[in-house]
Amino acid sequence: MWDIMKTVREINQRIKDGDAVVVTAAEMTAIVRENGAKQAAEEIDVVTTGTFGAMCSSGAFLNFGHSDPPIKMSRTYLNGVEAYSGLAAVDAYLGATQPNRNPDIGLEYGGSHVIEDLIRGNEIELVAEAYGTDCYPLTEIKTQITLESINEAIMVNPRNCYQNYSSATNSTDETLYTYMGTLLPNMGNVSYSSAGELSPLLNDPYFQTIGTGSRIFLCGTQGYIIGEGTQFATEVERRNGVPVSTAGTLMLKGNMKEMHSDYVRGATMPKYGSTLYVGAGIPIPILNEELAQRTAISDEEITCRIVDYGVPRRSKPIVREANYHELKSGVIELNGVEVPTSPLSSQKKALEIALKLKEWIDKGEFLLTIPVEKLPNKGRTVKPLEIQKPRILVKDLKGEALILAHPTDAISEVARRMVQNSINHLPVVDEGNKLLGIVTSWDVANAVAHGKNKLTDVMTKKVIIAREEEPVDVIARRIDKNKISGLPVIDSDNRVKGMVTAEDISRLIGGD
Amino acid sequence: MKAWLTFSPSIVNKAIISNLVKNYDITFNILRADITPKGGKMLIEISGTQQKQAVEFMEKEGIHLNPINKVVKKDEEKCIDCGACISLCPVEAIKPAEDWTVEVDDLKCIGCSFCTNSCPTRAIRVME
Ligand code: SF4
Ligand code: SF4
Repeated sequence: MWDIMKTVREINQRIKDGDAVVVTAAEMTAIVRENGAKQAAEEIDVVTTGTFGAMCSSGAFLNFGHSDPPIKMSRTYLNGVEAYSGLAAVDAYLGATQPNRNPDIGLEYGGSHVIEDLIRGNEIELVAEAYGTDCYPLTEIKTQITLESINEAIMVNPRNCYQNYSSATNSTDETLYTYMGTLLPNMGNVSYSSAGELSPLLNDPYFQTIGTGSRIFLCGTQGYIIGEGTQFATEVERRNGVPVSTAGTLMLKGNMKEMHSDYVRGATMPKYGSTLYVGAGIPIPILNEELAQRTAISDEEITCRIVDYGVPRRSKPIVREANYHELKSGVIELNGVEVPTSPLSSQKKALEIALKLKEWIDKGEFLLTIPVEKLPNKGRTVKPLEIQKPRILVKDLKGEALILAHPTDAISEVARRMVQNSINHLPVVDEGNKLLGIVTSWDVANAVAHGKNKLTDVMTKKVIIAREEEPVDVIARRIDKNKISGLPVIDSDNRVKGMVTAEDISRLIGGD
Repeated sequence: MKAWLTFSPSIVNKAIISNLVKNYDITFNILRADITPKGGKMLIEISGTQQKQAVEFMEKEGIHLNPINKVVKKDEEKCIDCGACISLCPVEAIKPAEDWTVEVDDLKCIGCSFCTNSCPTRAIRVME
C-alpha cells in the first residue's frame, strides 16, 4: 500500500485558498519523467483529463410540462426524431442515435442533432400523440419548444468514456462505413478513437479516486458520474496497468440547460447513423505516489489493438498492436505498408477540456468530490448475446447441383446450359475448380448481340464471393449492398462449391 | 494550375512531357497517373511563366486538358477537429497542426470529395 500523502478534503481547502497546484495529464507525464513520482505527488494536487469523442450511448430526459387540456404522450417527435415516451405523461428520453422519421432525412438529422439544437437554444418542433384518458383527454399536440421553455433537460448517458478502444482498419476490397468512420479498402487507413494519455479512465485505471458521485466536466458544465457505464469490464488484459482493449465505462449525468455547444455536438457517421460528440473531463486528486505514477502514463505506454472491420463478427481479427504515440504520428505500418491514421475523437478539444477543467479548479469554481461508492475494479466481464435460433452458415444452405463453365466453353453452349437449368449466373472455373470469374445471362445476351464468342471476354473477373463459414445474414447484407442477385460460394482453397442467390436467402429468412 | 490530362493510345509513347519541360521551362508535377496501353489519365500540376503556351502545345498534340478549379472549404464553426477526414485524403491535403487543429491545404486538394462524404459534422465542402 502507498502512504496517503494528502486527502481530498485538504486539496479542496487548497483550491478554496487558491493554493492548489493543478496540471493536465499531458503535463503530468513530463513532470513525473523529470522529477519522479514522489516529488510530483508532493507538489501536484490535481491532474485534469479530457476527451471529446463520438459516444453513441448518450441521450437526454426531457420533461415538457403539462398542456391545457393535458395529454399523456405515448409517442413524441422532436424535429421529426422520436423520443421514447413510455414513462409518465410528459417525460421522454431522447436517444442520440435515433434517426429521423422522415426517410429523406434519416441519419442526417437524428437524436444527437436535436440535443445540439436544444443546447444552442434553437426552437424545436414537438409533435405528440396519445390515446386519451379521462384525466388526459388530448390525443395530439403540435407546438414549438426551446430548452428554456421546458421544465428539465437532463443528459443521462448510459455508456461514455470508454477506458480504451480498438482502432479500426478494413482488409476487404470495398469501402466500409462504420461507427469508426469511413474505412478505405485494402487497409487503406486506420482510425483510432481514444484521447490516449489525456483520456480520463486511462489515468486512474483501477478507479482508485473516481466513482459514483464524482463531480466532472460534462459538455461545458459540472456534471456527475452516476455509476459504472453499461458493458463495463475489469477482467481484461493490461499493460502498464492500463487495459489494451475496451474495459471500464461511465454513466454520466448533467444539466443540459448549463451546457455549451463548444463541448457537445450532433454528428453523423456516414451511412452508419447519428451519434453525439460528448466532451468529458475528470479531475484526479493526487493522494499518493502511486496516483502520481498512474497519471503520468504516456501515449507510448498505452497499447491499442488494431482490428479488422472487414470481418463483421463480434470478435474481429487483430491486425497488430500499436501504442498511441505511433497512432498519433499520422502513419502506421501494416503488413509492411505505411498507412495513414485518423483520430476520430478530437485531440484538440480533449486538451481544451482538460485545460478548462484546470482553469475552473484554479479559480476555485470547481471542488473535488469523494465518491459515494468506488466503481467495481474486479470481477466484471462483458457477456455476449447468444442468438437462440442457431446461426445458419453458408455451408448449411442446401446447394443445387453445381453447374460451372470453363474458359474454353463456347458462348452458345453456356447460354444453353443457363436456359436448361433456368439459372442466371454461372461461375467460370479452371481445371482445379478455382474461380476465374462469373458470367450472367446478361453477359451472354450482350456477347451474342456483339458477336463475341469467347467466354473470357464477357465474364466479370472481379467477383463478389461468399465463404462457406460466413453466416447467411452477412451474405444477405452483401447481396443487398452490392445490388447483385447471387454469388459463388468458395471454400478455403478458393474452389467453387456452389452458388447462393437472393432467392435462396429470402426463402430461408422468410420461411420461418 | 492543376488539371486532368486525358490522352489516347497513339501518344502514350511520344516524348511530349520531356518536350514540354524542355521547350517551355515549366515545372511539371504528376500527382496521380493511370496509364494503360489504351491511353490514360494523369493529374498534373504545372507552374512556370509559359504555362499558357505549354497548354496550347499539349492540346495540339492531342492531349485533352481538364483544369481543376474545385477548392475545399472548411466551416470552422462546424468543424470539431476530429480528424476523421485526415486519413481519407489521397493527396495529404488535410493535416493536423501542432495543436491538432485540422488544416486543409486547398492548393493540394484535387476535389475528390472523399473528405466531404465522411465528415461527421458536414463541415468540409468542395466548391467550384
Ligand atoms: S472530419 Fe469534418 S469535423 Fe472532423 S476534422 Fe475533418 S472537417 Fe473537421
Ligand atoms: S476533396 Fe479530396 S483531395 Fe480535397 S481535401 Fe478532400 S479528400 Fe483531400
